Amino acid sequence: MAPHSPGTDQIDTLLWIGFVAAAIIVVAINVALVYAIRRYRAGRDAEPRSAEGGRRLQFRVGAALTAFAALVFVLAVIFTDKARETPSSGDAGLTATSEQIEEGEPLTIRATGQQWLWRYDYPNGAFSYYKLVVPADTAVELELVTTDVIHTWDVPSLSGKRDAVPGKTHRVTFRADEEGVYQGSSATLSGQAYAAMRTAVEVVSPAEYEAYTEKLLADIETAQDRVVSLIEEGKAP
Amino acid sequence: MSQSPRPEIVVDGYAPRRPRWIELATSADHKDLGRILVTASLGFLFLAVIEMLLMRLQLAIPENGFLSPVTFNRMLSTYGASAVFFFALPLVFGLFYYVTPLQIGARGTALPRLGQIGVALFAAGATVLYAALLFTPSEAGVNPLAPLSELTFLANNGVDAWVTATGLATLGFVLISIDLTTTVRNMRAPGMAWRRLPVFAWSASVSGWLMLFIGPVLLAALTMLMIDRNYDGIFFADGAGGAPLLWQHLSWIFFTGVYMTVLIFALGAISEIVATFARRPLLNRPVVMGALAAIAPIGTLAWMQNMYTAPIGTGWMYFAMLMSLALIVPVGLVVFNLLATMIGGALQMRAPLLFAAGAISAVSIGLAAELEQSMVAAAWQLKNTVDATAATHFALVGGAVFGGFAALHYWFPKMTGRTMGESLARISFWTMGAGILLAFVPLFFAGAEHGQVIDAYKFFDGTGVNVWNLLASIGSLVLAIGIVLTLVNAIASRENGPLAGHDPWGGDSLEWFALSPPDPHNFDVLPDVRGARPMRDIREAIAHRDSRAAEAPVRSSEPVA
Repeated sequence: MAPHSPGTDQIDTLLWIGFVAAAIIVVAINVALVYAIRRYRAGRDAEPRSAEGGRRLQFRVGAALTAFAALVFVLAVIFTDKARETPSSGDAGLTATSEQIEEGEPLTIRATGQQWLWRYDYPNGAFSYYKLVVPADTAVELELVTTDVIHTWDVPSLSGKRDAVPGKTHRVTFRADEEGVYQGSSATLSGQAYAAMRTAVEVVSPAEYEAYTEKLLADIETAQDRVVSLIEEGKAP
Repeated sequence: MSQSPRPEIVVDGYAPRRPRWIELATSADHKDLGRILVTASLGFLFLAVIEMLLMRLQLAIPENGFLSPVTFNRMLSTYGASAVFFFALPLVFGLFYYVTPLQIGARGTALPRLGQIGVALFAAGATVLYAALLFTPSEAGVNPLAPLSELTFLANNGVDAWVTATGLATLGFVLISIDLTTTVRNMRAPGMAWRRLPVFAWSASVSGWLMLFIGPVLLAALTMLMIDRNYDGIFFADGAGGAPLLWQHLSWIFFTGVYMTVLIFALGAISEIVATFARRPLLNRPVVMGALAAIAPIGTLAWMQNMYTAPIGTGWMYFAMLMSLALIVPVGLVVFNLLATMIGGALQMRAPLLFAAGAISAVSIGLAAELEQSMVAAAWQLKNTVDATAATHFALVGGAVFGGFAALHYWFPKMTGRTMGESLARISFWTMGAGILLAFVPLFFAGAEHGQVIDAYKFFDGTGVNVWNLLASIGSLVLAIGIVLTLVNAIASRENGPLAGHDPWGGDSLEWFALSPPDPHNFDVLPDVRGARPMRDIREAIAHRDSRAAEAPVRSSEPVA
């Protein structure tokens, strides 16, 4: 998945570092293994070389392995810390002139996992299911909560996975760099319709975002008024 | 004093007192119990393979309707329990239980009744799991995370059956581990110092101790879940004083420990096999033994490696990452010494060594992929994708199936008196090798590149994973065929394999001193151990005696050892 947020850029680099480290291990072990089998395959009468102790060699191998592990650890910590940083909004993003965002703060949207849908509550009171609309180049913070079991919010292009666990609020931040639609899913088994519990993030311009959320709020209020009127006029039970 | 030969007493076996199955069912002998565990584990391997094939068939094409979501989740839950509790653990502990007392020159185990009860509990657990499959099995997945596994969300008795089945089996393995650790501690032959212990017996002891720590942790968690579900408990209920994450901590401690048990078992068995078939002693035995002992605590302390996406402190994630990466050092040292023993040896590529080499190769891929899963930010992308499925399966199929089959081929002659067919073993090995690569390498791409999520009963067209999933399904069929070939080989060779004799491979440890299969009391004469390679010492003593006897006019009849 191509990264489209500062955090996922860092994760992408770390994934490549990890791939190189993993490849070194796989190649080293398997080349040595194949070499041993091809070179030292013997008939019944062949005599093995006498075994040597090599305590100094053990220390060297141990030290090399420790150095390798330490290097991977340090690189992982560096890139994890970078990936964890809350990004700040760019110039082209939603500005504080909007009522939905405060100066220097990310746009905060509540994401609620429920069997088997994601619900998004925007700062202006509008809400949507399945599809989340966010402005481009704007720092967005999702407050992940759940109404039932554990759900994992997973939109790989924008952010790493985070679990929504009952009783806890887990935060995930990203800043989408490009307009478009990013597909996502839930990544923890949550029951029957788990595989169908997908989500999509549509990244639009700040102006379109404001227009969308305002229209969404107006539509919701219209629908609510209609429900009230239908019931009060006795047209619906 | 005249050298008249002593009278020999010839015993043509023991008169059977009761039918064989009654003897087996009531036996407290470690060899009978070990054989029951190993045989049962291979049966459950077959069932797990069938379940895996059904799930892969469902996932062969996008948006397939072959299995309903509920059926898929039931298969997944039963597959996970079968693979971990009823294949991997009984195979590991069955072989440990069979071989270890023989290797340390003991005539039995210290607490045989505990082992007997342990096997009975295991059998009871297996019965519950597969009886539940006929009614309502669990739908909560491989690790039934609370609160999905709570009564509110899964109201039928599936999870209760899962809890009962795994709980009974785990209690069984804890009891067997008590016997195993006590036996290794107290019943070693005269002269068998810790430093002379065969590496496999050492890994049995380490695994036994590990199970004594992790088994009760899972039993506690299962008890809590049972109370939550049936007696209005609140252990995993948020807001009432409980915490859903508690289940994750406790269960992952156990599952991570099981992972390490499989690893320690495989490395221990491979150490024996490599030394035997390279015809030279394992290089740096003390280092290997120390490293195997280090794997248990270090690896298990990395349990939060499974919880990087959960709301826990970043410090805990770094701690888990530190432990995961620290595992590189002991595992690396063991693998280095295994390879160093092979390089410069005189390798006889018999079936056990072939499977052992396959195990090293598969585990190397699995652990390397696990390294990437251990780096916190990288894992935020990779966790709970099919990349994790592939990593786990390379490591555990590598350790428990390839490593387990290596051990099976190696000790099968001891258990049955007959060798497993060599050519069928080769066909099986290469089929399995092609199968594991084809089944799981595509999942690395589907998971890491396209983010396909784990445990899902279907995937969607247009997400770029169609080809990878089709390849994986074909690969798992190939892998299944390879596995079944070895099972067929084992069944066929039990009666018809070539006769093995007591020491078919020229091994260095004492199990090859006993008959094949061994007498109920293992040894007529307890050998006096003078070094780390007692069986080689015995062979040399025999050769020495024979050369002396050739010179002397009257054949000596002194006992060998």
